[in-house]
Parts: sequence; C-alpha cells; structure tokens
Amino acid sequence: MVQRNHVARLLAALFAMLLPGLSWAIVKIGDDIELEGFVKAYNIVRTGASFLDDADLTHQRNTAQVEGKYYFLQEGEAFGFKTGPLEEATFTFLARGVYDSAFDIKDSFDVLDDRGKEEYKVREAFFDFIMPPFSLRLGRQQVVWGETDNFRALDIINPLDRSWHGTRESWEDIRIPLWMARGIWDIGKIGTLDESFLEIILIPDDFQANKVPTDYPRPWAFTGIGLPVPANTVDIGGTLYDLDLTLIDSPPERSELRNMQSGIRFKGIWNDIDFSFNYFYGFSQTPGVRTLSAGIANPTTFATTAEIVYPRINVFGMTANYSEDRYTQSVFRLETTVTKGIPVGIEPGAPINIDPDGDGFDTVDQSVVMLAIDRPTWIKPLNRLRTFFLSTQFFWRRYLDHSSHFRGSFYEVSEAPGAPGRYLSVNNDKLDQDEFVITFSASTSYGGAGLWKPLFVLAYDPRSTGGYTKLQMEYLYSRNLVFKLEQHLYWRESGDDQGPWGLGSYLAEPPYRRNETAFTVTFQF
Amino acid sequence: MKQFRISNAHGNCSKSRLLPLLVAIVASLITPHTLAKPDQSYQALRDWIDNARPGQAALEAGRHLTIADRHLLEKYIPHTAWEYYFFDDMDMEIATTRHYPAPDNWGKNVKPDYSVDETGTLIGFTGGGYPFPEIDPNDAMAGQKVIQNMLWRPGANDYDMPMVTWLRSEGGKLDREMEYFSVNATYAKGHHSLVPGYEEVKSKQVMEFRSPRDMAGAKDMSIRYVDHYRENSGWLYMPEQRKPRRTLASERTGELMGMDMIREDSNGFGGKVFENNWAYLGTRKVLATNNVLTNPEFGGPHLWVPHKTRWEVRDAHVVLIKPKSENHPYSARIVFVDAETYWTHWMFAFDRTDDQMLRMNQHFLKYSEDYATEPPAQAPYIKQDFNKSLGHKVFLHLGETDINAKKPHATMTHCFTNKREFSAARAKQFFSLRNMISGRR
Repeated sequence: MVQRNHVARLLAALFAMLLPGLSWAIVKIGDDIELEGFVKAYNIVRTGASFLDDADLTHQRNTAQVEGKYYFLQEGEAFGFKTGPLEEATFTFLARGVYDSAFDIKDSFDVLDDRGKEEYKVREAFFDFIMPPFSLRLGRQQVVWGETDNFRALDIINPLDRSWHGTRESWEDIRIPLWMARGIWDIGKIGTLDESFLEIILIPDDFQANKVPTDYPRPWAFTGIGLPVPANTVDIGGTLYDLDLTLIDSPPERSELRNMQSGIRFKGIWNDIDFSFNYFYGFSQTPGVRTLSAGIANPTTFATTAEIVYPRINVFGMTANYSEDRYTQSVFRLETTVTKGIPVGIEPGAPINIDPDGDGFDTVDQSVVMLAIDRPTWIKPLNRLRTFFLSTQFFWRRYLDHSSHFRGSFYEVSEAPGAPGRYLSVNNDKLDQDEFVITFSASTSYGGAGLWKPLFVLAYDPRSTGGYTKLQMEYLYSRNLVFKLEQHLYWRESGDDQGPWGLGSYLAEPPYRRNETAFTVTFQF
Repeated sequence: MKQFRISNAHGNCSKSRLLPLLVAIVASLITPHTLAKPDQSYQALRDWIDNARPGQAALEAGRHLTIADRHLLEKYIPHTAWEYYFFDDMDMEIATTRHYPAPDNWGKNVKPDYSVDETGTLIGFTGGGYPFPEIDPNDAMAGQKVIQNMLWRPGANDYDMPMVTWLRSEGGKLDREMEYFSVNATYAKGHHSLVPGYEEVKSKQVMEFRSPRDMAGAKDMSIRYVDHYRENSGWLYMPEQRKPRRTLASERTGELMGMDMIREDSNGFGGKVFENNWAYLGTRKVLATNNVLTNPEFGGPHLWVPHKTRWEVRDAHVVLIKPKSENHPYSARIVFVDAETYWTHWMFAFDRTDDQMLRMNQHFLKYSEDYATEPPAQAPYIKQDFNKSLGHKVFLHLGETDINAKKPHATMTHCFTNKREFSAARAKQFFSLRNMISGRR
C-alpha cells in the first residue's frame, strides 16, 4: 500500500508538472531526460448475442502512464568521465496507474471487494549498456521472440495479465515484465550469414504465472461453461456429496537458483532469409492441476486436495521471414516450436498406462507451426492514396504424445437435477491432437493526413467453426487527443464445439456476453 | 481546371425560376482565384519547359522579388508550381549563382569497370564519384545517367538528420506534427567499403520517430545495395510489438505515415531505374532554394511553401520518367536535377487517370562550407555541433515541401542535417539487426 501511494503521488506530480508545457513533442528535462506518456479513459459496454442488446457497462478503466528515458552515458562519456569501451548507457522506466471507476458505479461489483479496481506499478525499469559488439539490458523488462502476432509459441518469456480483458489488449500492455538480464553479442557477418547475433537471457528468480481471474462477476472471469458459480457438489453413483476442495498453489520457489529461467537465441540472415534458432528453459505459465488425494471423508462430504503445478518447460524454436518482392510482393513469416512439458489433465478412470500416478495430471510435448503472409495491397476502389496492410496467419498446434483421455481446462457447471443450490462440474474438454486457427487483419488510413485509421481483425477456428471479429476506428483528432471506437463480436458457423482458442458464439452468450463495444479517449504527450 | 455543369433531369415546371438562381450561385462560387488557377497538367509543364525560356536579363542578386515580379519569376518557377508559390505577400531573395566545389577526393576512388545495361541500369558501380561526370544531351540514356548521378551524389548519406514535419490542410490547418531522426551511412566508397566484408551494400539508414506519442519509438532500418537490381531490405520496429518486422521494400507507391509523399518520391526519384521509361528533356534554368540561410519559414495561403528565403538560379537537367507498370499511380514524373551538384530541386508527378498533377516536391539545401559563416537552425530537441559538417564540401538537405494537389494537402519538413563519419566498427554495430530488436520502449 505504501509503495502504491508513492507511485500514485509520483504520477500525479509528474502530470501536474507536465500539463502546462504539453506539446507535440516528448517533454525534455535538461539535455538528458525525456518523458512521454498518456492519460486514457477506456469504456467497455458488453452486449448480448444481438448487437447492443441489453447493454451493460463493464469497464471504465482510466489509465495514466509515464515513460521516461535518461541518457546518462553518451559517446563514451558520463558525468564528465570517459567510460572507455562503454559507449552508451540509458535508464528507461515505464510507470502506470489504473483506476477502474466501474467498480464504484456498479453495485454488482461490490462483492469483488475492489479486486481489479486499481493498479499502480512501475512496470518496466531497466538499464541499457552498449559496449560494441556487446549490449546488455538489466532490469524489469519485456522480451519478445518470434514472428507471430498475438500467439504464444516463442513469445512466452513474459507471462500475460489476462485478468481484466483477456488477451484482447495490445500485448505490450498486458505482458507482465520480469526482472532479467538480456545480453547480446553482435557478430555481424560470419561465413554465409549476415546480421547475425547471439542473445542470452537470464531470469534469476522472477517466475510469474499468467494472470487469469476466477472471481465472478469480473467481466473476464474464467468460470467455465454454463453457470457462473463454483461447483460445490460431486455425484458418485447417483449420490450427491458436498465437495470439500483444497487447492495448494505451488509456484517455483523464487529464491532458489535451480528455479532460474533462461533462453538463448541465434539470429542471422542467410540468402535474404532472416532466421533464428531459439531455446527457452522456463516454467509453464499456465498451470496444471495434480490431484494429491480424493475420497469420501464422511457420509455427506467428498474431500479432495489438489496441487496447482507449473512444470518445467523446454521450448525449442525456429523462425524465418523472407521478403518476396518479384512474384507475390509479400513478406512470408514462419515460426515453429516444440515444447516439452505442457501440462494436461487426465480424465478420471483413465487406464493406468495413461495416468500411472492416478493424479489426473501429466506433461506432454506439443508442436506449433505458424505460417503468415503480410502484404501491403492496393485496393483502389476503397483507398486511392494508401495501401491496405493485409496480414494472414495460419496456426497448427499438435500434441505430439496425444491421448483421448487428455482434458483441457474448460469445464461445465450445471445445477444438480432436483437439488437447488447444488452445482456439479464436468470436464468434457477433450483435447484434439491437432488444433488450427486462422487470423486475418486489414488496416489502412484515410483523410488528408491519414488521421482516420480503421482496423479489421478476424480469427477463425476451422474445426469448431468458432470465430471472432473486431472492427476498430481510431481517429487522431488533435495533437494530444486520440479517439478509438471498437466492436468485438463472437460468432460461429455451426455446431456447439467450444474449441481451444476462446472463439465462438458461446462467448457472446450469458454468462460471458463478450460482444463488446469500447470507446477510448486518449490524451497523449 | 474545375468544371461546373448545370443539369436538370426533372420536369421543367420550375426551370425558369431555378436556372437563374443556380447560375447566380455558381457564379458566386467561381471566384477570380478559381478562374486564375493555372493549368497543372502534364502537357502544361512540358509546354513551359519547351517554351518559357528566360530572357537575357538575369535575376539581380540581392533583390527581393514579390508578387509584383511574377512576370519575371514565371520564367524560373516551373509552371505546375505557380498555384502555390505565387501569393500576395511572397518574398523571394535572389542570391548569386555560385559554383560549389565537390569533395576533394570526389571521383578519385571510382573503380572504372562499370557499365550500363539496356535499361540504363548501372552495373558494377561502387561509388566514390559520379558514375557519369559528363552528360551528353544526345545520349539515349542521358535521363537514366542524370538520375544515377543523383542517386550517387556527394552528401547523399553520412549524416545525422533530426527532422520536424508538419502536415497541413488548406488554409494552413495543422493536422499533425512529427519529430524523427534519421542516421545514414555510405558503405560503397569506390575502391573500398566502409565496413570491410560488406562490399554489396551501398548505404544503410536507421530512422526513428520521437513524437507524437502514438508513433514514438517506431524505427525503420533500410539497406540499399550496390546492385541496383537487388531489392532493398527493410525492417520496422514497432514499440507496441516490441520486435522488428520485415517490410516489403518494393512497395513504393503508397503514401507514408499520412504524409503527402510516396517512397518513390524520395529526392525526386527513389525507385528502380529499370521499372521506368526515360527521356532527357534538356536543361532549364530554374529558381531553387539551393543554399538557404537556414531552414525556411513557410508561407502562402496554406503555409505550404518556403517563404522569405534565399533562391538561386540554377541550371537543371530535366528528366522525364514514365513508370512501365499500368498500375502505377503516376503517368509521368518530371524531375529537375541540378546540373552541377546533382541534387534534385523540383519534382512533379502526374496522375495516371487524368495527367493532372498529383504530387510535387521541392527541396531546401545548404552547402556544408557555409555552415561556418551562417550555421542553420538547431533542431528543437537536440543540439548538434555543426562544425562537424565543415570541410566535407557537400550539400546538406535542410528540408522539403511535398504537396498532394488532389487532396489537397501538404507535408513540410525541416531537416537539421549534420555530417557524421562512422568508423567501420560503429557502423557495423549501429546499422545492425541487433539494433532493431529493441527500442525506445
């Protein structure tokens, strides 16, 4: 709390200081310090399956962000001293304060006890040192690997905060920065390779899991399918028992060196193909659940103890991109990974060879292949001045050692027949060995200075036929004011399979109702 | 030219009353300004190039010319630009036409074994001087040769260039202002490369946006190659993505970042020689902001053009460039390139749909040696030591205006260019993909 108040005061003081002198430009303090940032009011209204049906305000997220850079060592000199081979050094920080006023407007949020209402954090704070051919970034930071947009294959170094709006925000804003060291040796030309470098990252003791809320009625709470209530009952042989569930969260111990995470990447260009080989040794940020004990404790109660575990993962990856200018005038992107250690659930009663420990938990190997095409494309009937940037991605995820007894994390909650107030949960989320999803986006700009910026996004699962569409228009109204209007729509072609990607019409329906209309006003400096 | 047409597709019961009213409304809309709007067609510019020759009386150095002197100026300002460059309180200071020596070693390091192929594309040239020091007007490839001299001109690279750009609508309404920084190095230096082992590279450039905040931190690295047939390479780092993205360098015809220019308009012509048909239209005397005192202020009714600045009469090669592709937005582009320094002064591009002007650009330059006696303005966000520019004997780009006549809209840029010499080690590190995997944030 003390730290939170300090950050809030710091942000308030900075804004008070900066407001009078706001301009188009970054704010400079002396010759060496630069500040920029924004204040944003982000309002989300969720609607029913029909457009604007039964609208309900879910977020009124007010954000203030300050980003600063201090150039304290330039051209081999700092504070009047020569620094030898150390040519440049900077300090960067990014602080964010959030207040969601929906928590004070909506009575239904009272039960949340202000969880998710505020956030005050120095999200990123790191030093950069450049001593050619080496560079080092030390501190709390984000590191992004890979060629995919908004997909977790190699972009898995930082966990995601999905607590307030899933993964529908810019990932820059929802990645959880970690304390780490990132060192790069710039090699340049070596043999037939060009622009090559070797990168090593070390995360000594900062493991954090993806943040997923489970506290309904938070609008993006993960509550399973069906009723937005936790299960309190089990059905054994037609008899209902009260469920006594004990969950033990077992994240890796922070202070132990053996829990260090690390990664290495070699990147270069061969024959105009920009490629990389990657390896990351970390922990799964999405946990699995291992049953430690389960049984009838007394005539009315079924007791079970389960452990939330974050298994070690080994991620091997390769990326490539190529700009094909002659025939297709497109940039092709490829990313592929094999991950060992993905946690899965196992259905009760599975054969012993599938679940030898009888704990309903295992780790498996998984591969991902992503192929993408980017193309600036003229569609002159729609825009005579500027191209449309079209981007299509195709993902194929495969469980390499698959079993039909594996279960995912979607479970269905329903009221026990003839037993009001008693809720059962069933996990029917059978994992398919092969999973596919296709994404497409199109963007351009209109107006004399390109101030109107529409964006269209589509995601589609060809197996479940579930889909998601985002329509967005951003308007750069003035030097400081930016308006944005978004519509998010979930839909499906046929069937009722939820699929693994969080797509489909079930998300438009109660209790989720995630067809959202969002309006944002940003004051930037 | 604007055309007005009155039609009445409905019954004629009210025709007798409506028609005079419409005529009156239309007459009120046709202001004297509209009537006087010059023809901005391709043919009109060709006619001006062929016919509007300056008389014997040269423009007198030191004189400030105003709208009253328009009859004199029309001989020196390309016809297509009159619409913007002649306005009531215009003030053009005429400077003496000077000779500007090239760098001391210019032309001495050129490897001689190069040639041109049937498209006029340069083969095997590695810099160090002009590929074609003499232009023969009767040479069928004179146009291509002028442009390739322009592409290899001294001063084209090796600089720090902080920039400020203003995007304005008619009436001078400021729609957007941007700050960004370009750093550029010549690798191909004739007999050697700046970085040994990188002999295939002509130049490398890194450009990063500072403001507004929605663009701050976006940076682009581009590599141009000695082999003109090899497509450029490009990467774009977007802070929102926190990683570089490969870009398609061959797409050069869409407007960039809301600005009124396309990549191919860069310095008059930034495309590929073999993608165009060429004609050399001879030389013309033109007025150019060739060696301005400092970054000029902007004037005119829309604040689109340089104002109260110094102009110099220059001999310019006139080159006609016609894109081969039927899908190209331009039917033709006419470029005026300085006959001594090979810097572009004026460029006019015509819309393929109607041969009317679509875009133009005009450039503000300054000779490096004059930085000693009349240094240009400092960028608003960084202070540079302009003494670093002295002794290079090159022109430095102080800015340009880019106008889209069809929108209509304009982009004006001030460049605060300072020469920079890279060591091989520093260039290798700075212009590297490693430098593109992280950024301002």
